[in-house]
Amino acid sequence: MTEAPASYATIGGAPARLPPLGSTGFLARLHKRYFATPLMSIVTIVLAAITVWALAGLFRWAIWDAVWYAPEGAACRDAAGACWAVIAEKYRVMLFGAFPYQEQWRGGAIIALWLVWGVLTATNLFAVSLRLIGWLIVFIATIALLQGGIFGMPHVGTDLWGGLPLTFLIFGGTVAGGLPLAILLALGRRSQLPAIRFLSVATIECVRGIPLLVVLFFAALILPLFLPDQLNVDKLVRAEIGMIIFFAAYAAEVVRGGLQALPDGQEEAAKALGLSYWQRMRKIVLPQALAISIPALFNDIIRAFKNTTFFSILGLFDVLGATKAALQDPNWVRYGLEGYLFVFLLYFLICSGMSLYGRSLEQANARRGRKVER
Amino acid sequence: MTAQKDFVVSMQAVNKWFGKHHVLRDVSLGLAAGERIVLCGPSGSGKSTLIRCINGLEGFQEGTLTVCGATLDGTQERLAEVRSHTGMVFQNFNLFPHLSVMDNLTLGAIYARGEPEDAATERAKGLLERVQLTSQTWKYPGQLSGGQRQRVAIARALMLEPEVMLFDEPTSALDPEMVHEVLGVMEELAQSGQSMIVVTHEMGFARRVSDLVVFMDQGEIVEAAPPETFFSAPATDRARGFLGQISHAT
Ligand SMILES: Nc1ncnc2c1ncn2[C@@H]1O[C@H](COP(=O)(O)OP(=O)(O)OP(=O)(O)O)[C@@H](O)[C@H]1O
Ligand SMILES: [Mg+2]
Repeated sequence: MTEAPASYATIGGAPARLPPLGSTGFLARLHKRYFATPLMSIVTIVLAAITVWALAGLFRWAIWDAVWYAPEGAACRDAAGACWAVIAEKYRVMLFGAFPYQEQWRGGAIIALWLVWGVLTATNLFAVSLRLIGWLIVFIATIALLQGGIFGMPHVGTDLWGGLPLTFLIFGGTVAGGLPLAILLALGRRSQLPAIRFLSVATIECVRGIPLLVVLFFAALILPLFLPDQLNVDKLVRAEIGMIIFFAAYAAEVVRGGLQALPDGQEEAAKALGLSYWQRMRKIVLPQALAISIPALFNDIIRAFKNTTFFSILGLFDVLGATKAALQDPNWVRYGLEGYLFVFLLYFLICSGMSLYGRSLEQANARRGRKVER
Repeated sequence: MTAQKDFVVSMQAVNKWFGKHHVLRDVSLGLAAGERIVLCGPSGSGKSTLIRCINGLEGFQEGTLTVCGATLDGTQERLAEVRSHTGMVFQNFNLFPHLSVMDNLTLGAIYARGEPEDAATERAKGLLERVQLTSQTWKYPGQLSGGQRQRVAIARALMLEPEVMLFDEPTSALDPEMVHEVLGVMEELAQSGQSMIVVTHEMGFARRVSDLVVFMDQGEIVEAAPPETFFSAPATDRARGFLGQISHAT
C-alpha cells in the first residue's frame, strides 16, 4: 500500500475574535499613512511645519492685523494686515458694476434667484424636467430684471449691465444655447450626409483651434465692420454668440463620446420598431448618451463659468471687470489683493459647488451602471 | 408567377457586398403566410446579413425584396412600411436599459404607430401575460435574467402586430437553462400561425416548428428542404458536414 504522506492539515480552529490591539484604529492608521518609514516621517514633519507656518501667517494677515472698518481708507494705510474695509466699501460696484444704484435691488434679486435655484437643483428634489423649466424661468427673469421697462422698472441699457448678474447671464446663455448646438454638432458629425458631416467637423475643429479671446474679439469688434448696419446687434449679444459656439465645439466632442459609448444594437432595435430618426434620437439615443456624458460635460460647464471673465476685455463689466473698475478709486487702489480675493472666493465657491454636483451625478451614474449591466 | 400577396416575404436574386466581399450571392427565397423558415449555416455564411436585409437594417446592391406587398425602393416611405410589417428579435436582446419593461413595449406603438397610450398599455399587458412576465412589468431590463430579457424582446416585437417575425439567433447568448423558456415562447407563437424566419442552431426546434430549413454557406443558399428531408437525408456534402459539427457540439 501507499505510505502515509508527510504533509498534514490539522482539523479544527478557534472562535472568531477581534484583531490584536494596535493593528487597527486611529493610531495604527496614522502610523501606517504618515510615519511608516523614516523618510515618510521626515516628509510628514516638514510639510506639517510649512503648513502651520503658512496658516499662522495667513491668520495674522487676514484676521489678527486686519482692518474691517476704514472710512475713506484712512485706517488701512498704516495697518500691517488685510484691509477688508475695501469690500464693505465697494461690494456694490463689485457685485453690480455700473448698474444704476437705485435699481441694484434687481441685481440682488437675480443673484438670489440663481443661488436658490442652483442649490435646489443640486438637492435633486425635483424631476429633471421641472428643474429645467425652473432654469428657463430664472433665465428669463434675469433678462427681465436687468432690462427693466416692465412692471414699473425703469429701462437699463446693456452698456450698464454688470457684475455678478451679468456673469450669470453670460454663463446661462452659454450653456442654454451651447448644449443644444453641441448635440446638433455631435449628431451632425455622425450624419450619413457628407455635407452635414463636413460642416460639423469643420465647425468643431476650427473653433477648437482658435483661442477664446480671438473668437470674442472677432465677434465683438471685427464682425460689425463687415455686417450691414441693420444686421448689427448689441455687442453683448455678439460676444455671447461667440461664447456659445466656443462652448458647443468642446461640448460636442464630449457628447460624441457618449454617443460612441452606446452599443449599435440600441439604434438598430429602435429602427426595427419603426421609429424615425428624430424619435430614435430623442427617446433612445440621446437620453442614454447624455446620461453618460453629463459628468464630463460639467468640466466644460465650469470652464464656461470661468470664461465669462474674458468679457471684461471687451469693456463689459462682469464681476472681474467690475472689481477692477471699483479698485480704480485712488483711496482704495492699494487694496487690490483683498478685492480680488473676494472675487476669487466667489468663483471658488460657485465652481467647486458645480464640481461637487457633477461628481455626485457621476457616482449616481456608476450606481445605475452596476444595476443595469448590459 | 405566384400571387405576391400569398408571400409575406419574397426575395429575388438579392446580391450584397461589404466592400469587395460578396456576402449574399443571388439569394432568392419566399416565405408563405403562416409558415416558418429556419435558416442555418456556418459562421460568416451571411445569415444575419440576410435577415437584416429583410427589415432594411442592411441595404443591398442588387435584387428585389418585397414584404407584404411593399417593395424596398430606397424611399423612406417603403422602408417604414416594410418595418411596420416586420418584428425583429436580436441575439443580444437590445432592450432599452433606460426604460421599464412596459415602456420598452409601448414605445414603438405610441411613437411609430401613433397608438393612444392606454390602448398600447392594455395590449402590452396582454403580451406580457402571454410571455409570462406580468410580474416584471415595471422592472428595468438590467434587473431581469437573460431568458426574461429575450421574452420581453419578443413581446416588444409583437407589439407591432407584425406579419412576419425575424429572429437572429435568439437563444445563443443565453445560459443553457434559459434556452428552453425562450424556445417555448417561440413554439407557442409558431402554433398560433405566426409567419417567422428564424436563424438558429437549435435543430430540435427546427424539426418541430419549421416548414422549410434553408442551409446557407458563403453567401449562397446551398440547400432548402422540409426538416424531415433535411435532417435525415441532406443532399450536399456541405450540409452533411455542418450537421455533423452541430450534433457533435450539442
Ligand atoms: N458591417 C460589416 N462590414 C463588413 N463585413 C461584414 C459586416 N457584417 C458582416 N460582415 C461579413 O459578412 C459575412 C457574413 O456575415 P454574417 O454576420 O451575415 O454571418 P452569419 O452567418 O450571421 O454568421 P454568425 O453565425 O457568426 O452570426 C461575414 O464574412 C462577415 O465578416
Ligand atoms: Mg449572425
